[in-house]
Amino acid sequence: MRVVSLRFVYATLLGLVLAGIVHIAAVLAIPRLSETDAVSRARTSESLDHPQPIYTVATGDDPSPPEAWLPIPDPAVAVGVCAYDLTDGPMRVSARTGSLTLSLAAHARRGAFYAVTDQAAVRGALDLVILTRAQYDEALADDDENDPSRDVRIVAPDARGFVVVRVIAGLPSQRPAANAEIQAVSCTTDTTADDAPAGKDSTGKGTGR
Amino acid sequence: MRDAIPVSGGHAAASETAPRRGAIRFVRRLWRKSSVAGLAVYALALGGALGLASADWATRGGYPFGGVQVGAWTAWPRAGAANADPYTRAVNARRGEIPLAVGEGLLLTAASDDDGQTLDAACTYRIGGGTPPARAWTITVAGRGPREAGRPILREGFTSTEILRSADGRFTVMLAPDVQPGNWLPSPRASGPVRLALRLYDTPAAASVGSLDRTSVPAITRLGCAS
Repeated sequence: MRVVSLRFVYATLLGLVLAGIVHIAAVLAIPRLSETDAVSRARTSESLDHPQPIYTVATGDDPSPPEAWLPIPDPAVAVGVCAYDLTDGPMRVSARTGSLTLSLAAHARRGAFYAVTDQAAVRGALDLVILTRAQYDEALADDDENDPSRDVRIVAPDARGFVVVRVIAGLPSQRPAANAEIQAVSCTTDTTADDAPAGKDSTGKGTGR
Repeated sequence: MRDAIPVSGGHAAASETAPRRGAIRFVRRLWRKSSVAGLAVYALALGGALGLASADWATRGGYPFGGVQVGAWTAWPRAGAANADPYTRAVNARRGEIPLAVGEGLLLTAASDDDGQTLDAACTYRIGGGTPPARAWTITVAGRGPREAGRPILREGFTSTEILRSADGRFTVMLAPDVQPGNWLPSPRASGPVRLALRLYDTPAAASVGSLDRTSVPAITRLGCAS
């Protein structure tokens, strides 16, 4: 009897150690396996050339739509996401700054890896290019020495992720403008097949929007 | 334990004639005679169930770690960073949350007042003082769970632009169920716990949360409760 219960105690201890291992493995696996995380949910915006609004602030009598998946959104901040898949080419995000505070943050599965606000804008335009290491090297090699590109180039840790655009409406009267400013940002995929001069053209087109 | 039955059940199959006493004897016999295989199945089942349940519990709801206490508020500087802890990442993934990145802003939450009492929707609170330097900020209130149906949303929060300030630039927000003069923030529900969120946008405080102290965040004082 004594021996058996001792064996039972050992089995319980072993079970607890196993529980610890399973716990750690499960916590580490959740971000990888989750289908409700922001990266997976933002996937639907990949085909759009402007951010998909995921939280539009309430304007006048229009309440903000309940389908927004942010758990506790800020009622004064309009949010949009642009998903990217860098295997299709680098992603270019262009924003024109207005009177409202705007911020861009690039997220991958592990979290945000870059964030910038409209105070970093050059002549009222904010241009972000998100690329892989290989695409970055290619862009550097293609650069014209006399006319360096003014883009902010960011190397992404993963091929997939999203850029989140936030616009703050300080006053209720600014809310329609905040929702519109989200839509005015452009998120386009740069074509990489072009040679250097063509690449420059597409750069010009991107900023001109 | 139930998983061990098929493994060592063969030994006790004969004693199942008298149902009730048979079962007791069966369990007793199983206890005595539990083979190594039975114990192994038991240990695996215990480990699996306990491990998954605890992982679910730890990543449900709010962030378990990473908060920095500043007065009644808790700042979450690393919630959106790439080097966030695995629990924070799991919570974000499960909720579909897009946390503020360090360069974007900082989230502070408060679930209790300066005396440590849980914020209650039936009580009146004065939230006053200044905020850490930020280009813009919003202070919002939310109850747990879904909104009560049929309750009109009068106001969920104030932004730094629209809030009424005193001459020295400081402000006072009254969180109360009944109408108050000045900055009145209506309670989001009739009763139950509520949470305050202070979001600082474009703030240097996000990179140096250690520099924040009690005097730089709004104080939350309980004034009274409706019985």
